[in-house]
Amino acid sequence: MEFEDMKKIWDSQNSQPLYAIDEQGLHNRILSKKRLASKITKISELMGIIAYIVTGCFIFGVTLYKQNAGLSSYKQNGSLFMYILAVWLFASALYIVKIRILRIRGSHRFDRSMNGDLGHAISVAMHQVQLSLIMRWNMLPIGLLTALSISETGKSPWFTAGILVFFASAAYFSGWEHGIYKKRKLELEKLQNKLANS
Amino acid sequence: MTEKKQKYIFESWLHQYQTLLFKVVRAYAFTAMDQDDLFQEITVQVWSSIPGFRQDAAVTTWLYRISLNTAIKWVRKERKYNQAETLGPIDLVLTESAAQVDDRLAWLYEEIYRMDEIDRSITLLLLDNFSYKEMASVLGISESNVGVKINRIKKQLISKSTKTQHHGI
Repeated sequence: MEFEDMKKIWDSQNSQPLYAIDEQGLHNRILSKKRLASKITKISELMGIIAYIVTGCFIFGVTLYKQNAGLSSYKQNGSLFMYILAVWLFASALYIVKIRILRIRGSHRFDRSMNGDLGHAISVAMHQVQLSLIMRWNMLPIGLLTALSISETGKSPWFTAGILVFFASAAYFSGWEHGIYKKRKLELEKLQNKLANS
Repeated sequence: MTEKKQKYIFESWLHQYQTLLFKVVRAYAFTAMDQDDLFQEITVQVWSSIPGFRQDAAVTTWLYRISLNTAIKWVRKERKYNQAETLGPIDLVLTESAAQVDDRLAWLYEEIYRMDEIDRSITLLLLDNFSYKEMASVLGISESNVGVKINRIKKQLISKSTKTQHHGI
């Protein structure tokens, strides 16, 4: 069959559509999908930021209150570690806000072509890779500061070791999530290369 | 843009250009549920794209651009529906037409479905008579690159059709 014949066969479906649409059903689905999609994006983006800020505020408030009220069994260093931990959490939240702003600003750089869309998808995937890496390695200083402040309160060394093991395992397992984002990014880059090269 | 106007444009596009959307759906999704899912995904993107349409391109070019980009992203998603997994009847917004589909058209779709996502897009645009310039703009690559890809795809399709005819199908 010649290519022109294929074109004729292809054109035959213009007069005889392959499907029928339930228009009312479609309209309802569009509205609900749109609402759901924007909700999921907002929630997932803001959850990390809020979690860091709320935890930071909580640690800061409780340490300050206990210290002022003389209720704390913390030694001077214990309180210091808790304050450092709170500041670290605030700084992490600010850093996530910064890379989020950069990502949103960057999204206007891409045109609406397939290449531009793939470029945008790669940039989003890169953001996810970066974010998951930060979340992963951030667990180590947070775990260390938590363990140090707990050890200063006179808790058993086994408890402190348990805390360290907990954070280390969380960092290890979050490597899986990081791996998924990395794989997705590589697939997109492969696709973009395929588009660009003959 | 008011939602009323957006709805009006959407409905008129859907009536006028539904065949274009069906072609993309059929080329990128295999089962009825996947086709329905992809069709919904594309229509959501088309709906959202309406305020950004500046009329500097033809509506068909715009729609192909939106629907092909959506289809490629959709293919990348981890999970697809498997008809065997569904427990009960599901309300689909898309129902296959009762009319008999030409065997040669079914063969063509099968061959397109076997291609990778990029070649599928180029083949759809090629079969719908888009110029090299329009294709280059939809894909975001140079016209010469489009030309090279088209030659390869044409050769591949013609050779496969010859083999199929030799086997008496």
